[in-house]
Amino acid sequence: MRLAAKEEYFDEPTCEHNGVAKEKKACKTATPGSSTGGCALDGAYIVLSPIKDALNIVHAPINCLGNSYNQRTSKAISGKEYYMYGFTTAMNENDLIFGSEDKLKHGITYVYNRFKPQGIFVYNTCVPALTGEDIEGVSKELTAKFKIPIVPVFSQGFSGNKNLGNKIAGDALFTHIIGKKEPVIDLLGDFNINLIGEYNIKGELFLIKKALKTIGINVLSTITGDSTIEEIMYSHKSELNVVICSKALVYLARKMKEKFGIPYIEESFFGMTSTNRAVIDIVNSIGNMKLIRKAKDYIKIMTKNTEEKIYGYKKFLTGRKVLLFTGGVKSWSLISALNDLGLRVIATGVKKSTDEDKLRIKEFDENGNIIMLDNGNPVNLIKIAKENEADIILAGGRNQYTAIKSLIPFLDVNQERLEPYTAYEGIEFLAKRIYSEIKNPLFKLLKESI
Amino acid sequence: MANLIKNIEINPLKTSPSLGAAVFFLGLKNAVVLMHGAVGCASFDKVTLTKHFRENIPIVTTALNESGAILGGSNFLISGIKNVYEKMKPDFIGVVSSGLTETSGEDIAGFIKDFKDRLDIPFANLIYAGTPDYKGGFEEGYIAAMLSLLTETLKNETGKSFKNQKPDKIKRQTSVNVFCPSSFTPQDFLELREALDYFGLKPIIIPDLGLSLDGHLDKRGYLQTTPDGLGVKDLLDIYNGEFNLIIGLSLKVTVKNIEELTGLRTYYFPNICGLKNSDKFFNLLSKTTGKKIPEKYKRQRSQLMDAYLDAHFYFSGKEIALALGIDLLDSFSSVYSEIGANLKLGISTKIIDDIKYRFINLCEGDLDMLNTCGNVDMIVSNSNAKFYAESLGIPLLKAGFPIIDEVGHNFKHYILYRGAVNLAVESANLLNKE
Repeated sequence: MRLAAKEEYFDEPTCEHNGVAKEKKACKTATPGSSTGGCALDGAYIVLSPIKDALNIVHAPINCLGNSYNQRTSKAISGKEYYMYGFTTAMNENDLIFGSEDKLKHGITYVYNRFKPQGIFVYNTCVPALTGEDIEGVSKELTAKFKIPIVPVFSQGFSGNKNLGNKIAGDALFTHIIGKKEPVIDLLGDFNINLIGEYNIKGELFLIKKALKTIGINVLSTITGDSTIEEIMYSHKSELNVVICSKALVYLARKMKEKFGIPYIEESFFGMTSTNRAVIDIVNSIGNMKLIRKAKDYIKIMTKNTEEKIYGYKKFLTGRKVLLFTGGVKSWSLISALNDLGLRVIATGVKKSTDEDKLRIKEFDENGNIIMLDNGNPVNLIKIAKENEADIILAGGRNQYTAIKSLIPFLDVNQERLEPYTAYEGIEFLAKRIYSEIKNPLFKLLKESI
Repeated sequence: MANLIKNIEINPLKTSPSLGAAVFFLGLKNAVVLMHGAVGCASFDKVTLTKHFRENIPIVTTALNESGAILGGSNFLISGIKNVYEKMKPDFIGVVSSGLTETSGEDIAGFIKDFKDRLDIPFANLIYAGTPDYKGGFEEGYIAAMLSLLTETLKNETGKSFKNQKPDKIKRQTSVNVFCPSSFTPQDFLELREALDYFGLKPIIIPDLGLSLDGHLDKRGYLQTTPDGLGVKDLLDIYNGEFNLIIGLSLKVTVKNIEELTGLRTYYFPNICGLKNSDKFFNLLSKTTGKKIPEKYKRQRSQLMDAYLDAHFYFSGKEIALALGIDLLDSFSSVYSEIGANLKLGISTKIIDDIKYRFINLCEGDLDMLNTCGNVDMIVSNSNAKFYAESLGIPLLKAGFPIIDEVGHNFKHYILYRGAVNLAVESANLLNKE
């Protein structure tokens, strides 16, 4: 039984928090009495659930899955009917007293026989972790029986936050899936890469893949948007890992570098400038001159096309002010996209950002005016927005009602976003959304009427 | 039952007692819910409730970590309570436990009592509902919170908050204590309030989700706690109540308890949906107040009878499957039975024999059992049932919890005569869609 999170998860050579005293490796602690993000289970489920031929069983009382499932917006082409289904053992009092390993076994057996998935993820949670259930043993036994990976995921919520859950999921993939199969030759292109930390929200992956394909880069595996178990199994055959907007999954990229010698880079595909930069970084890492030339030509054309398409929006948006409040990497990656549209970011949330993220923010901050918001308290958010006359707040769903109840235009840029915002097409969607929201006469009407 | 064979819930209908208790506390004014557990317990619930009600949902966490889970979480709980009060100054803090904190066997009630006993400053009303996630479901949690609030308020044993406040014995308007099921939409609450107003009764609705979560915009803008609801002062009026009104099949178990706690005469209705049940409800109000049934409702009654006639053609030869919590299953099936619909399958989180006769097949289970209903013409269930509605090509009438993919259900209502009209015509139109 694994109660505590692996120490290794908190050892991140590329993170500046590394090496500080244990209590302070506190990307993992939260203050009692505050409203925080999700737990390790949440984080692990987000990473693993987009795999479209695997299913996810949450071994827990009803709350862990029952209260909140079917809410992700990861898209998949020809996903199996079950891939977004919620499965749980719904442990009851008897299960606590007498143990529920048998129940779990029966459950897995039932869903295996009925759905014939290519893999099953079994999530350990707080209660079975406390009662000491051997889900590792159950998984091992049934993996041997059914000949598909049945993967224990040690994501009990008290171990830590969502970020930690991402790592735990990455570790589960690394230990049980990656490197377990070789790709058939047809699947390999001239240049093969993996995208890590891309969940294809609203089809964002499709836009990224489209751009890369045009240049001649083959995305062999995506971890995990629109992916299959098999595809992740042979991901070790790629020559480059591209980690997208995810500090947490750098952990996985680092492990893959150690074991398979695959180098990795961190990129963002939000906005035109970032997409251009990502494409150039990718081809430079691959180092093929012909490819680099092709990429440069492509970027030139796409930049011109996109600039033409967003011209009208940009004219309206230039100089308008945005308050950005989102997690970690997006605190800077979105600034780039917003700058592309002529928008001025007056403040950005840095609660979950690392020092490196903060340096990146400064890179985009031409006048040195961006306020770094450490305090995510909604009252503070509204205060800053009003003081600085923000035209719009861009944040995650939990701040939606904070903003609109205060009659400040709002756009969701987290997982609930309404459209894909990546790559060249994405910036058009983003421009259109921000434009319509700021321009909407409703806010004026309500301010007058209230 | 099929569940025993498969030993796993696939797309559960059930949600947890902690969620039910949280929803109860959200019906109190200037309240915050403090969930004692890992961060996820609060976060998952907050996300779903925010999407369902489309309102800010004040749920915070005690953020229990490894050491708290293993060595005891009282420090987390107490500092959580203090921090919430410091930051938000609520009138109520509803403390809800989780599977995690209950498994480790902590005496949460004891901690809270100690904390209260040591208080010598004005503080928020601390109400604790013990809601182990492995025992019961949404309705049980809602009831646990309800009884806990009543006990705190009426017994005055532990609650310092009420110690120095003598209930106001001067009668102004006849008030009535109303207990509604968790299945009521905010608009249902408001409709019920209006009906009672018509009879000159001042309703003390416990909890009042109509006032807190109906979605209304005012000058106050964003608030950290619930904007409205059952307030501290309203609680004192429970003493002044003329009688208790308990609505909801799931609340049947509370009738004796509430009668004893309040010492008031108690009337119970399994539901107030459809013609017969609404008649009973209005007749009671008329009888107890000595007032005639208002013209408005007489009119609505005759409109309902007419709407039933208009709609009934679309039900004939059609079959319906319902997957709903027990209260909504009872309410909706009352209306559908009156209109002569065939209820082929009813799925709920538990079975109550009283309503079995309305269904060809009634069982306890998950949404996956919709797969067994074959070719029905309409499914009535929450947003998660769309997997089945879409793959089977059957229209889905969205009701229950959660509804996260469409707006406006806060304003829908299904109780009393007009509510039955709504259900009859919405259903008929869906059944008529080819």
